[in-house]
Amino acid sequence: MRLSGHSKKNSKENITGYILILPWLFGFLLLYLVPMFSSVYYSFTNYNLLNEPRFIGLDNYKRMFFNDPTFWKSLGVTIYYVFALVPLRLIFALFIAMLLNTKMKFMGVYRAAYYIPSIVGGSVAVSIVWRQIFGNKGVIMSLLELIGIHQEVSFIGNPSTAIWTIILLGVWQFGSSMLIFLAALKQISESLYESAMIDGANGWQKFTRITLPMLTPIIFFNLVLQTINGFRAFTESFIVTQGGPLDSTLLYVLYLYRRAFTYFDMGYSCALAWVLVGIIALLTLLIFKSQTVWVYYESKEER
Amino acid sequence: MKKVSLSLLPMLLILSLLIVGCSQTGNVNVEPTQPAKVQPEEESSTKHVLLSITWWGSQTRHDYTAKLLEMYSEKYPHVTFESTPSGWDGYFDKMAAQAAGNTMPDIVQMDNLYIATYTKNNAIADLYPFVSNNTLDISDVPESMVKTGEIDGKLTGAVLSVTALTVPYNPDVFAEAGVSEPTPNWTWSEFEEAMLTIKEKTGKYGYASDVLSDTNLLTYWIRQYGKSLYSTDGTQLGYEDDQIFIDYLNMLYRLTKAGAMPTADEWMQIATTGKEARPVVTGDAGAMFEWANFGVIVESVNPDIKLAIPPYADNGKKSLWIKPGMFFSIAESSPNKEEAARFISWFINDIEANKVINAERGIPVASKVKEALKPQLTKQQKAMFEYLDLAAEHAGPVSPPEPAGSAEVTKAMADQINLVLYDKKTPEEAAADFRKAANEILARNAQN
Amino acid sequence: MSKARKSNKLKPVLFHIFAISLGFFMVYPLLWTLASSFKHNSEIFINSYSLIPKKWAVAENYTTGWKGISGITFGNFLLNSFIVAAVGTVGGVLCSMLAAYAFSRIKFIGRNFWFMCVMMTLMIPNQVMIVPQYIIFKRLDLINKLQSLIVPWFFGSAFFIFLMVQFIRGIPKELDEAATIDGCGKLGIFFKVILPLLTPAIATCTIFSFYWIWQDFFQPLIFMSKPKYFTVSLALNMYLDPNSFSNYGALFAMSVVSLLPVIILFIMFQKYLVEGIATTGLKG
Repeated sequence: MRLSGHSKKNSKENITGYILILPWLFGFLLLYLVPMFSSVYYSFTNYNLLNEPRFIGLDNYKRMFFNDPTFWKSLGVTIYYVFALVPLRLIFALFIAMLLNTKMKFMGVYRAAYYIPSIVGGSVAVSIVWRQIFGNKGVIMSLLELIGIHQEVSFIGNPSTAIWTIILLGVWQFGSSMLIFLAALKQISESLYESAMIDGANGWQKFTRITLPMLTPIIFFNLVLQTINGFRAFTESFIVTQGGPLDSTLLYVLYLYRRAFTYFDMGYSCALAWVLVGIIALLTLLIFKSQTVWVYYESKEER
Repeated sequence: MKKVSLSLLPMLLILSLLIVGCSQTGNVNVEPTQPAKVQPEEESSTKHVLLSITWWGSQTRHDYTAKLLEMYSEKYPHVTFESTPSGWDGYFDKMAAQAAGNTMPDIVQMDNLYIATYTKNNAIADLYPFVSNNTLDISDVPESMVKTGEIDGKLTGAVLSVTALTVPYNPDVFAEAGVSEPTPNWTWSEFEEAMLTIKEKTGKYGYASDVLSDTNLLTYWIRQYGKSLYSTDGTQLGYEDDQIFIDYLNMLYRLTKAGAMPTADEWMQIATTGKEARPVVTGDAGAMFEWANFGVIVESVNPDIKLAIPPYADNGKKSLWIKPGMFFSIAESSPNKEEAARFISWFINDIEANKVINAERGIPVASKVKEALKPQLTKQQKAMFEYLDLAAEHAGPVSPPEPAGSAEVTKAMADQINLVLYDKKTPEEAAADFRKAANEILARNAQN
Repeated sequence: MSKARKSNKLKPVLFHIFAISLGFFMVYPLLWTLASSFKHNSEIFINSYSLIPKKWAVAENYTTGWKGISGITFGNFLLNSFIVAAVGTVGGVLCSMLAAYAFSRIKFIGRNFWFMCVMMTLMIPNQVMIVPQYIIFKRLDLINKLQSLIVPWFFGSAFFIFLMVQFIRGIPKELDEAATIDGCGKLGIFFKVILPLLTPAIATCTIFSFYWIWQDFFQPLIFMSKPKYFTVSLALNMYLDPNSFSNYGALFAMSVVSLLPVIILFIMFQKYLVEGIATTGLKG
């Protein structure tokens, strides 16, 4: 922030700014500050939730990097998951949002229907239905059998394909990204399209020249958020596969959760958490830096 | 002016929260504080006590337990309860957080899986002092059963019920395959033959069971050789010869490859559904391994399931053990340990109370209670009681409670079994790797 | 000409065929839950591929489910969830909105630092924060009160702040400037320019927020010990114990009941997603 001549204006802006973020700041200090510091501290201890934490230096981190294949496995699984899920989900969400943004009958019904997967998200029903589709003797296996392809192991039971059933579950729950896109599409001014019509642009040109550029702030948002949420995903593998078979769907946070609460290894779990934060922060930073190249803002930042 | 109105907004928000907060505490906190208001004069001989208690279970258990607490308060008016019923999922997550915050309920329902961890970290109290001052009466409970709640010389769990491993089987499937029903002294080779025959003759699974999510069957298998899965101090594995585990893996492998047992893939599909839909219950498999209350759980779907004693090894060693079903433990942080112990004593011994419980928590431990219940049992409950009497004749010494780290060892076992069944490893490699992983886990947990 | 008209008629038909078949795939688990809530407990898993019950047990499932746990009806749980979700949503969306306006339109010292903190709160896994949070709440004597479930949402959350920041940055600055010329201060700009244009974003945040609070399981699980303050998600879990007899019929019946408010709210708010303010004619 550069100090210029308008120091009075600046101080007024400072006050207004802080007043506006005050509620959030209060919540942050109350809910996050101390827990953040204590979890950093725990990561250097042998805390198991029931004992007095004892300082053990970098042992947890050393164990993680040099002596815990499951850590590497779950990290690999998670990176694969995020890089497959995020683009697929965003493309699908944008595609459906474009479809639903047309003026036809029953749009409200479709919108509600497509949002339902995001509502039933973590329920028993989803895990059962997913197995009915992809599991042993499930719908897909029976269909393949019909056309003469015999499968020894189902998609969910096969360590090399199981992760894709989880990814598909994530894509299927595209509802929230779709809603955000829908809201963003509404924000684009009609007049832009009208003038494009006058210039004789076709549908595809309208999409690439108006819709897409105008959507970039929200595509950016969805990209950042879905990446972060992808790394923090937990429920998907928890309810459908419990991380199996052979840890092939063991998402990082599921492993971290088990470490903390099932194996009474909270100190180690905190270390896992902060390594994860480091990875996510790095990626987020990269996406933020890339903004200048591809994100178009109506209101330019003067930095 | 503008600034003022601007700063008003967040203030308003905070205020509104406070209002909501106040109105909440206003209208909902009335109830629990009422009894305290009614009896504030603590001059009387017995001081008013509020006992907090938590348990896991399903709707039935929640309902009758609430009734029990009322019964107790009627009998001992100075005691009131604050109860937290819970499902199984998350029950121990919550307890861990409460232990971390020193807010564990006075009385907690405890499982064999976790009792050692809580004991070693001094989160639950030793009950022996209350046994010696007669607050907790366990005279009617067999000594061997009492000992299941003892760790490092401390009695941290009062056992509520007992159970034992069994082989529930579907007599119709056995008949269909022309296989004779199991006898109490059958052997593993007879078992395997029966399972394979069922597969051959009917195309159904012989044996359809969960071999991954707990170590019970493996424990049973190892006990046949006079060893145990964990060493007595819980810091390493309790058997030296990997051949024991290799034999076990080989049997699972043979059964799976013959199609007489579900593959991991097929089992995953089965496991999603409730116990009521297990292949044995639906007539799609001959037998399985379960706890003795299995027949009762599925009675409404298939009342004809029978329970058999698990097979013997060729050496004929009695390897079955009577397992504690669940415990009540008292938090070390509780200020009302004595009152809590008195309640537990009532819960274990009172006949009227146990008529309400009706063996829903498993077979009661007190022998008088057990006798008193017999007239009111259903067919499957009766079978369960009879099975446990039979099991006692085939049982050896009780296995020690699972040591700290056992949850992780279970995972390590499941990994190795899976690797063998998925043809990624030989049983020999898997047994050696399991030993290495398990010993490391147990040693790490012993350090803490 | 006639060819063109034909394809114009065909297009909506194709669209609806596509939309309906996709829709079926989307709502199938919900239909399954609904069907299971009609089935007798004994057939739910045995007859699980069929959506049509062999043995109807609608009344039985819904009444035993509604009976709740130890004398506390399911209505009580619904009310708790509703209070928590409604208050949490109102507070959360308002506070997020204010913060988002500050982060996107006002230059104050430390803005980037605080925005980094906002993003940071998104990245830390909840699982390691919950125990320290529990201890803080215990010190503040908030445990076992509905406030303990409201507070974590009430002061705004990173997701909504970031979302609205992005939306506000999509609003041309020229509009602010025009309003300044008309004599508006920062607050005036917020109410006259930003707020109306933010409606779709606010509707989106409201829908998300309500649903997220509604279905949150872990936080109520850890923070709440008194059954009468249990939320719906926590109550549903109480029907299940894999090692004893579980009443799945009642569970699915109440799952259906618990989804209704969320769906109703969605239907109520979704029109704000669509009601174009865009037509008011902003120039890019």
